[in-house]
Amino acid sequence: MDPSWLPRLLALAWLTPLASFVLILFFGKRMGPHGKLAGLVATSAIVFAAVCSFAALFTVWLPNHPVKDASHHGEHHEEGETHAAVTAPIHLIAAASDDSHDSHGHGEGGEAAHAEGDGHSGHANNGPDGYPSYYGTWYDLYPGADDSGPLGSLKLSISYYIDALTVGMFCMVALIASCVHFYAMGYMHDELHDFTDPEVTLSNGEKLKRPGRYYRFFQYLSLFCFSMFGIVIAGNIAMVFVFWELVGICSYFLIGFYIERHSASTAANKAFIVNRVGDFGMLIGLMALWSSLGTFAFGDLTNADGEVVEQGMFSLLRTEENYYHLQPTEGMAYEGSRFSDSAAADGEGEAEESSNKAGWWLLLVAGVGIFCGCVGKSAQFPLHVWLPDAMEGPTPVSALVHSATMVAAGVYLVGRFFPVLSPEALLVVAYIGCITLLIAATIAITATDIKRVLAYSTVSQLGYMMLALGLGAWVAGMFHLITHAFFKSLLFMCSGSVIHGVHTNDMTEMGGLRKKMPITAYTMLVGCLAIIGAGIPLTKIGFSGYYSKDAIIEQAFSFGSSNPAHVLLQWAPVGGAFITAFYMFRLWYMTFAGKPRNQERYDHAHESPQVMTAPLILLAVFAIGVGWNFPGTDLGVTNLLDQARPVGTLATTQGEILTGLTIPSEPDSHEWEFKKPAGIAAFFTAAAGLLLATLVYWWDKGLNPSELREFGPFKPIHNFLWNKWWFDELYDLIFVKPTKAVSAFIAWFDRNIIDTIIHAIAAICRGISVIFGSVLDNKVVNGFVDGVAKGTWDTGLSFRKLQTGSVRQYVMFIAVGTILLFVAISFVQNI
Amino acid sequence: MNLSDPAVYLSLLVFLPALGGLVLAVLPRFSDDAYKLITLGVTIVTFMLSLGLFVQGNEVNFQAGVAEMQNLFQVDWIPSFGIQYLMGIDGISFPLVVLTTFLCVVSMGASWGINKHVKAYCVLYLLLETGIIGVFLALDFFLFYVFWEVMLLPMYFLIGIWGGPRREYAAIKFFLYTLLGSIGMLIAILMLYFNSDLRQLDPQQLVDSGIVAVAEGESASDAFEAWKSGETTLAKQFVAAESDDQPLHTFNILALQQMGQHTTLFNNEVFLGKSLQWWAFVLLFIGFVIKVPSVPLHTWLPDAHVEAPTPISMILAGILLKLGGYGIIRICYPICPEAAYDLAYVVCCIGVVSMVWGAFSALAQTDFKRMVAYSSVSHMGYVVLGFGVWSAVGGTGYDPQYWKMGVNGAMYQMIGHGISSAGMFFMVGIVYDRVHHRNLNEFGGLFAKMPIYSGFAVGIFFAGLGLPGLCGFIGEVLVVLSVWKYSILLAVISAAVVILTAGYILWAIQRVYLGAEYKGPHEEALTPITMRELCIAAPLMFFAVLFGIYPKCVLDYMQPSVDRQVEQLAALTEQFEPAAGNDDEAPLATLQLGQMAKLQGND
Repeated sequence: MDPSWLPRLLALAWLTPLASFVLILFFGKRMGPHGKLAGLVATSAIVFAAVCSFAALFTVWLPNHPVKDASHHGEHHEEGETHAAVTAPIHLIAAASDDSHDSHGHGEGGEAAHAEGDGHSGHANNGPDGYPSYYGTWYDLYPGADDSGPLGSLKLSISYYIDALTVGMFCMVALIASCVHFYAMGYMHDELHDFTDPEVTLSNGEKLKRPGRYYRFFQYLSLFCFSMFGIVIAGNIAMVFVFWELVGICSYFLIGFYIERHSASTAANKAFIVNRVGDFGMLIGLMALWSSLGTFAFGDLTNADGEVVEQGMFSLLRTEENYYHLQPTEGMAYEGSRFSDSAAADGEGEAEESSNKAGWWLLLVAGVGIFCGCVGKSAQFPLHVWLPDAMEGPTPVSALVHSATMVAAGVYLVGRFFPVLSPEALLVVAYIGCITLLIAATIAITATDIKRVLAYSTVSQLGYMMLALGLGAWVAGMFHLITHAFFKSLLFMCSGSVIHGVHTNDMTEMGGLRKKMPITAYTMLVGCLAIIGAGIPLTKIGFSGYYSKDAIIEQAFSFGSSNPAHVLLQWAPVGGAFITAFYMFRLWYMTFAGKPRNQERYDHAHESPQVMTAPLILLAVFAIGVGWNFPGTDLGVTNLLDQARPVGTLATTQGEILTGLTIPSEPDSHEWEFKKPAGIAAFFTAAAGLLLATLVYWWDKGLNPSELREFGPFKPIHNFLWNKWWFDELYDLIFVKPTKAVSAFIAWFDRNIIDTIIHAIAAICRGISVIFGSVLDNKVVNGFVDGVAKGTWDTGLSFRKLQTGSVRQYVMFIAVGTILLFVAISFVQNI
Repeated sequence: MNLSDPAVYLSLLVFLPALGGLVLAVLPRFSDDAYKLITLGVTIVTFMLSLGLFVQGNEVNFQAGVAEMQNLFQVDWIPSFGIQYLMGIDGISFPLVVLTTFLCVVSMGASWGINKHVKAYCVLYLLLETGIIGVFLALDFFLFYVFWEVMLLPMYFLIGIWGGPRREYAAIKFFLYTLLGSIGMLIAILMLYFNSDLRQLDPQQLVDSGIVAVAEGESASDAFEAWKSGETTLAKQFVAAESDDQPLHTFNILALQQMGQHTTLFNNEVFLGKSLQWWAFVLLFIGFVIKVPSVPLHTWLPDAHVEAPTPISMILAGILLKLGGYGIIRICYPICPEAAYDLAYVVCCIGVVSMVWGAFSALAQTDFKRMVAYSSVSHMGYVVLGFGVWSAVGGTGYDPQYWKMGVNGAMYQMIGHGISSAGMFFMVGIVYDRVHHRNLNEFGGLFAKMPIYSGFAVGIFFAGLGLPGLCGFIGEVLVVLSVWKYSILLAVISAAVVILTAGYILWAIQRVYLGAEYKGPHEEALTPITMRELCIAAPLMFFAVLFGIYPKCVLDYMQPSVDRQVEQLAALTEQFEPAAGNDDEAPLATLQLGQMAKLQGND
């Protein structure tokens, strides 16, 4: 089909959940008994969205843009070949325009890295050919200026930007969301009748009983999917921000779904407010970009003839003349010079140099600012604290939030925004990701709540993705986003199935459950193997996580070799692999292996109904195979993602502020030189982690975890990890308490200082008027008849009784008097 | 009566409520409900009249996309002082007029719970509506002032008689604060009046002031000559003044704008080395900013809101606060542009401080209504900030785009806040009517008892929070995005307010609507929302959503006028800037022009 169908199909996929939301919002209660049909409505909507998404992928995208094998970058380079361009037959709105170029950037970009590591040496970079994207607008929120000023048109619009990443994300989100919807129809059946909440005790000692809210749940799920699709399809960063907030509010509703539980509503508040802290940074980034570029659009807007009408951010910052290398615009240099005075340096060349620097600084501020938003959404350090608390929501929500939607949004945005991130900003991303992956992984070791282990595991895996993106491994990062979405939703839904079966989250009350719930146990095992990246090293055989995680570690090795100063970034993912394997198998063993720790719960445990296990099996299949290519073709996720690689990001780049920094080209990391040590390191650390977990948690004659906990040096460490590094307490001390103190002070100031001043002024005025009035009275008394005087006196007295009454009338007289005076004078004049 | 005459149509729009009030006042004794119904009917007819301006087939209508004053008319009122009955509408006043008439209908619907002196209440209510619409339509400064005061008195009584326990205190405080402002305004008006001189304006400026009517295809000077030889009082005075060589003073706001922008009439030094327009600006700004209200002149607002009955709170927050913003954009800036330029940073700081102050203060409140009142202080801070971001300076090549965006955002924020704040006060009023307390710590669990109400309440509160897709977002984001270009520091602070806003709104929602059980007295009174309340909440929610997802429905009417005014002011900037500053900035201005050339080259 013609590519003009892409926006239509995806918009259909995007808006169907909205329609479902509106329907359930108004008629949810009347949809069958207790709103049972609402589940069907929402599920059909998301399945329809999935159908549209896959139709967009298979009937529009792939026929127009057949994938090619991206893993041959290096080979081609060695053979001295160049790729034949994938000519994109784009008629309407394609950003790609020139079909005659060969996309020879791949090979030469790699060469640049080898030759001198100088990304600015004028080598060809990957141009827009073969990286097709479509941009267009639907309508304007703020129409901006008619006459385009020096800085773009200042338009805020609802627009779309569609490339292979968009289409791929649509398919992934829709597929996982569909599974979650089906699963939720089974999981939430408690809500189909009056629900007794075991965790809420009323003041009379009884448990809370309330009507079920089945339809509400699906209403929120639909809105959630709509918002997530909105982020993915957004054609400009302002629109991303809009749906960003909507995703935030949906998570607020879903985390706080059990509104009667104080812990749930507090967790919901925490999630939203912590996200707002990230949004604060994002707003700063937005402002910096807005003031310097005057546009938020990702792509170029073209007219019917294919001419560019309005340039988007990407093409402004990576111009064709500059071989698609990142270069701040002059507007950025000006804006940057406003906060760094380096631009005021003397001398012609120096001034130019420093104004260039200022532009890079602004780019850094903008990039880090936008990244702050991603830190909030993707629960990165230091804003990771909301995610584990978000476990208060029902498990299907956790599965959705933690895999395909909310937390994925942050990583997705970094990926989408990648062309604008300067090397320094990428370094920030990498370090934040690195710290996050280590902190979260360590906390996961000691957690005993099955969902919290998975939550910290999510945080840690998101750290991996951020790290990958920060190191320049765009495809690896986005690839891990997609593989992780599958195995993490699988893991969460398995944990939900366990919770459904034993009615507790606490792993210390589980054990041996694999006999009772085999499907859950073995699908979860698949998930665990996928997340630790199980595979045969140095081959192409493994679970999905194997491909993406190894790709990240390869890039880390490649980065480490060119930046010896940042050795932490090289070894953190390897260490993370060890911890991941340990805590994931600790979880599996504690839940499914060994002897039951709580016989009563074990006896009542049961396998979940088919509507819940079927999605598990489907997801398990994906968790194994999503990293594979379709047999006999080049069609696979990595190759699809490679089509979406942002223009100009293939080359090795150098830092402009930190001049020693090198972001190596991604395809280089697949060279044997890095692939071998990375693959071996990844395999053996993961294997060691697995082995240790087996020793401690499975093998009876092995180590005893409770003894280990009490063992001298481990005790304070355990305590530290058990308390999650004391982040919550720290934030309470340095942010929450001071905020409360300041607000109390300000409220006090209003009441006591400002109002006291006002009262004092009022009292002085009253005093003066009383004195003035009595003096006047005396004169009047002396000069006029006593009767009049007495009347005045009485009036005065009565005025005085009304505390402030005299002032009131006094000022009223001024107003009315003035008007009367004018009227009177005008009459006099007219006569 | 000829409704095709703007004079008749607009006068009817203004005075219909007052006429209704007059009729009510002389009517014999009816039942209370009848008074309320009649009042509601009058407000509905007024609303219809304002909606009639949308109908393009009408003789008197408001055209979208036109920047200039529309339906301008003038009638001599007190000719000896040049005071005219002069009215007109443009994109700045029109949305506010429609907002006023709409909110008056809605608030009257919310007034059904008033049972004390119903007749007096209705009369004062209608008088208030006349005052407010009059302020928005008046283009003669004297007329403006009269309406300003007319509006004040009913409000005073409405708070002072129908309010809560401390109503007298609150009413006096409200009155004195506002009156202090209006006295300053009166002084400023007289200062401007006695320094104005119509003779200094050239024919085109007289045309722009609405004094000289120009026919299609006629040149301004021809029209001017025709006008001079005409029979109008003003023309005669004009000719007389020319022959006597006496200044011809005027109260015409449009003419004063022309004088402020194109003549040096207001530039003479009067006091402490500051010019007349500087002092006029300060006095006027204080008068308006009290109404907004901004820190530190805001303490009347929480008291007034807490004591006022629900419908009056809705009017107060929804419309009265907007009068302050309207005054700033209609009067302060265009009449005293140079002073406005000098004081732009002060204006912005007042806006930012109010945003932060209001948000912090709202966080600390335990009274539900007081919290909402402080949220108004915070949200109206965006308005002041948006007006103030005069970023069209030399360094930016006098590019007014960002400032335009700020002012449009501020105007939009006024409309959005009109909907959301009225809604929030109504939501508070609904529970107050039932349980007669507002202590945030004694609520909880309302979702279970009043599900539909709680749904609306959460929606409206999210509109106040500035959630995308609801009316609060657009204004806030436009203002905040425009600030960086003016001042990076203020931009960062104003962006930080989003955290605090989320904090106090979510915390309030948690304490009132969520939770397992209700913790306060009169639990049995928590009955589901009634049909009448639903009919008020639903339109508010509808507009909150509409303005959030399709802002063009307002911007189409508003933006041309706002853009035109900002462009006019920005064009003056160059002559305000200190000469020395220009040298440094010039290269960057040319640099940006170079970029523009490049862009055009790409086209």
